[in-house]
Amino acid sequence: MSDKGSLIKKQGETTIRCVRFHREGDDCLCSLQGNWSLECDEVRFAYAEWKRFLSANPNVSSFRFSAVELGEWDSALIVFLNQCRHDLAELKKGFDTTGLPKGIARLLSLSTGKKAERQRSQFNLNRSIDYLETEIVRFSDRAKGVAAFFGEWISVFVLAIGGRSCMRMRDLFGVCRSCGASALPIVTLISFLTGLTMAFVGSVQLEKFNAKIYVADLVCLAMVREMGALMVAIVMAGRTGAAFAAELGSMKLNEEIDSLRTFGISPMQFLVLPRTIGLLLMIPLLTLYADMVGILGGLTVGTQVMDFSVLHYFEQTQTALGGMWEVYSGLVKSLVFGLIIGLVGCYKGLASGKDSASLGRSVTSAVVTSIMLIVVADALFEMTFSYLDLR
Amino acid sequence: MIADGSSHSPVLQVENLDLSYGEYEVLSGVSFDVQDGSCLVVMGGSGCGKSTLLKSLVGLLEPSGGEVFFDSSNLWASSQEDREAILRGLGVLFQGGALWSSMNLLENVSLPLETYTELSDSEIAGIAEYKLGLVGLSGYEKFYPSQLSGGMKKRAGLARAMALDPQVLFFDEPSAGLDPLSSRRLDDLINELKESLGITFVVVSHELASIFEIADDSIFLDAKSKTLLQQGSPAWLLDNSEHDHVRSFLSRDSSS
Repeated sequence: MSDKGSLIKKQGETTIRCVRFHREGDDCLCSLQGNWSLECDEVRFAYAEWKRFLSANPNVSSFRFSAVELGEWDSALIVFLNQCRHDLAELKKGFDTTGLPKGIARLLSLSTGKKAERQRSQFNLNRSIDYLETEIVRFSDRAKGVAAFFGEWISVFVLAIGGRSCMRMRDLFGVCRSCGASALPIVTLISFLTGLTMAFVGSVQLEKFNAKIYVADLVCLAMVREMGALMVAIVMAGRTGAAFAAELGSMKLNEEIDSLRTFGISPMQFLVLPRTIGLLLMIPLLTLYADMVGILGGLTVGTQVMDFSVLHYFEQTQTALGGMWEVYSGLVKSLVFGLIIGLVGCYKGLASGKDSASLGRSVTSAVVTSIMLIVVADALFEMTFSYLDLR
Repeated sequence: MIADGSSHSPVLQVENLDLSYGEYEVLSGVSFDVQDGSCLVVMGGSGCGKSTLLKSLVGLLEPSGGEVFFDSSNLWASSQEDREAILRGLGVLFQGGALWSSMNLLENVSLPLETYTELSDSEIAGIAEYKLGLVGLSGYEKFYPSQLSGGMKKRAGLARAMALDPQVLFFDEPSAGLDPLSSRRLDDLINELKESLGITFVVVSHELASIFEIADDSIFLDAKSKTLLQQGSPAWLLDNSEHDHVRSFLSRDSSS
């Protein structure tokens, strides 16, 4: 390349990097010089300089290309010549490649094709209205799809309660194992640390009012009312909801869902029902477990940092709870959260497209939508409980 | 089920079928018959609607117009329950086999039998083993789909498609993704099953070697006109078709 650079510098004014121009009246002979490679720095500037030459010489009506001084070349040369051809066609000037080797001329003719006109979209009011119309129809179709999915789920759930479903019990047990027992380690860790953190934060504030013992109330009420159900739901949305979407999405990708349908087996009964029922059975149990582990986290701080006795801490916790409603309200929430996670995960999986990118989008969307709906449902629950004086 | 060599009535009749994805029309006015015990190949270039037609014949895509009759029962005009009963008489083998990945081969073949028969578990297992044996997969009952080669997956899919002793078997691209020998073995298997069990095959394919090997009859779909260009045996179409496109497709000659 350094040789090339020095060669160019020796040329006259009508030389740009890699090309030398000879004007003969209205015609111009363009001699391609040296090596044209994608790795060659000089080539990068050739097109910009060609454009400058073109605008500086508007009287030239025809350009003839020659490759007598051409060294090694690759796609960089063909791309450059294609751009030149395009520019000259726009200016209605001649583009003559008879002086080029057959290989280059052949590649140039192969790369001649219609430009994708559709990609060059310009603003057009009618097109914008069409687009808006399409989006509205698509949204309404999606809303109908969600309603139909939920309706179908309710009908097959009722059938399953009546013992008239083709759901296999071994599938249900498999789901219970994978979203129940297998989730215990992560639920234990998250709930314990949640209880521990709340106790630490609470102890600092309550110490100011000389009310440190109320840390037991704080931890236990927050866990059973709110944090137990919410933390389990978020963990399950990321773990189980994503798994449901990925499983069903990949089944759709591999035409496994279609093959179920051709046997007249309903994917809703065979795939969605065991997953949602399994999750509905397991999530209250996990929530109850998370409540207990969270209280244990608070107890750890209470006894190890704040010097309460275990008995004293438990007595205070029992007093704070008062009755079992606080626990039940958390369990009711967890059931709704479980339903949201199961249905969103399965719906997103079944609605996934038949390509891997769409599968990825479905899994992401399943997690994001589930968490969003869980937070909204939680807020609605708390507002309802407050309104009904249940808190 | 068993071939007696005398039946030549149409088992599948398609009349003026129109197919579309939303606004986009794929095929229009497609009509053809499939004779009992024969093998009809649906051929045509890429994107001509072969697989879309297959989807509509097996109940996965509702046509925008026209009728599909199986033994005089109208597939798309029937109630959901009747349609499912018609579909139980059909077997479908998808391009990649579409085996249920969470189940082993025995469970894959057993599931339709568990769903639709009152047979005991041991009887179902016996039938499933017999079907797997028919396609040369004896001993692979406990294998999962991920442990099989492409050709084995297709054969296992064929065993599952035959689980309920279907009258008509639909096959999407049997040769796709297979080496020439595996492809040939699958063609031989189709011919053998057709002759011994009298199953009617509807095969979507654009592999010429396979088409000439298995087809008794064929239809040619054209992407440009979005119609069925012609029906006839591939050998007859090669010599006698009035459409250049059909002849050049069958002779693999791009110049004509």
